[in-house]
Amino acid sequence: MKINIQEKGAFGSALLNLAPGETFNSEAGAMYRASANVEIDVTTRTRGKGGLLAGLKRLVGGDSFFLSTYRTTDGRPGEVGLAPTMQGEVRAVKVTNMTPWVCAGGSYLGSSDGLELDTQYQGLLKGGFNREGLFFLRVAGEGTLLVNAYGRLTELEVRDALTVDNGHIVAYTEGLQYTIGKAAKGLVSSWLSGEGLVMKFSGRGRLLVQSHDPDRFGTRLGGLLPPREA
Amino acid sequence: MKHEIICGPGYSLVEVKMSPGETLVTESGAMAWMDPAIEVQTAAKGGVFAGLKRKMLAGESFFQNTYTAPAGGTLALAPGVAGDIVAHRLNGELILEKGAYLASEPGVTIDSQFDGLRGLFNEGMFVLRATGSGLLFFNGYGDIQTVDVDGEYVVDNGYAVAWEPTLQYTFTRSRRVRAFLFADQLLLRFSGRGRLWVQSRSPNSLANWVHPFRPVKSSQHN
Repeated sequence: MKINIQEKGAFGSALLNLAPGETFNSEAGAMYRASANVEIDVTTRTRGKGGLLAGLKRLVGGDSFFLSTYRTTDGRPGEVGLAPTMQGEVRAVKVTNMTPWVCAGGSYLGSSDGLELDTQYQGLLKGGFNREGLFFLRVAGEGTLLVNAYGRLTELEVRDALTVDNGHIVAYTEGLQYTIGKAAKGLVSSWLSGEGLVMKFSGRGRLLVQSHDPDRFGTRLGGLLPPREA
Repeated sequence: MKHEIICGPGYSLVEVKMSPGETLVTESGAMAWMDPAIEVQTAAKGGVFAGLKRKMLAGESFFQNTYTAPAGGTLALAPGVAGDIVAHRLNGELILEKGAYLASEPGVTIDSQFDGLRGLFNEGMFVLRATGSGLLFFNGYGDIQTVDVDGEYVVDNGYAVAWEPTLQYTFTRSRRVRAFLFADQLLLRFSGRGRLWVQSRSPNSLANWVHPFRPVKSSQHN
């Protein structure tokens, strides 16, 4: 598997070379170009985990979270291009057995066959405060995880603790834990600060953050549009 | 006529240096800056009917603007979306997805073409057909990537920007029934031999993404 990230300019995308017998998964619908020998299957589960229920869990998560699976059908190599909706960076993250990653649902673009995905539904208390925060994916195994960002990606090294607005979280290594908390001390001043609830990370690990929060952009833009039917 | 694509690839504009007497036709609204001596004429190219057809059918602007530089000058053109611009030296014919047209030399004719029933499910079932010879500028949302098709190639509907007329295409869906049920991905399957230009973002996808952020009509207004 060769993954070529197109990263010049503001619009990242990934072009994969699939060897015969190899498969690759992506968020459903992320494929924008492919050689004609590539078969696209949409699955609601990954590698023996979850079945239909897991697929529904992903659906409840708010994202179109069925997975597309790509493989070639004729015993020859093929190619698949994957692109996110928003403008911004695409990055390939190496995942090893030693270090599973946790990826925000909206930041997941795709993953190689050796990686198992499991949704971590955050529940109303933990993740319900924000579309983006509704679910995370645990990505474990050996392979490549593709993430997308709204804007640019920055990698942060957490040695002790770090507070991050959940709209900027892209992915983090599993050694990190987080609790949901308020940015400022009091409830009122927290609300006034515009930060609302944040993720307070502790432990040691790596954290990928995006320069812009898609929810804020969506809210800004959506408010300018005429109301929709419920 | 000399041109330079600046601010690319993310936010491309094209700056055209026109020699005295030269003319360039553009999509209306594309002019970003220019020498004041350049003259602008707004007309429905090919007559009102051709213009109306372009507007109604292909979603292109009704009017194309014609810029003439009696003493020469610089004209900068910007597309409506952020992304790449391709400067294509046309000699013959090229098919453009609606919205991809930016500008052309007067030797190039732009017409809309109904693609028959095979275009039934496509938003852009009316495509633009550029014919003639001269420089043609087209643009896309995001990266523009070229694919030299020899045989077959698949592109998601809404990501094809332009293709040579030697390529035929049909609409297809992902093969499996489950794919049809759960993730309705409509694909363009190109076949033949020729060049295809693909963009790496889709304005439709962005619009769908923004949709849930719209305020919801309150029940009192119903």
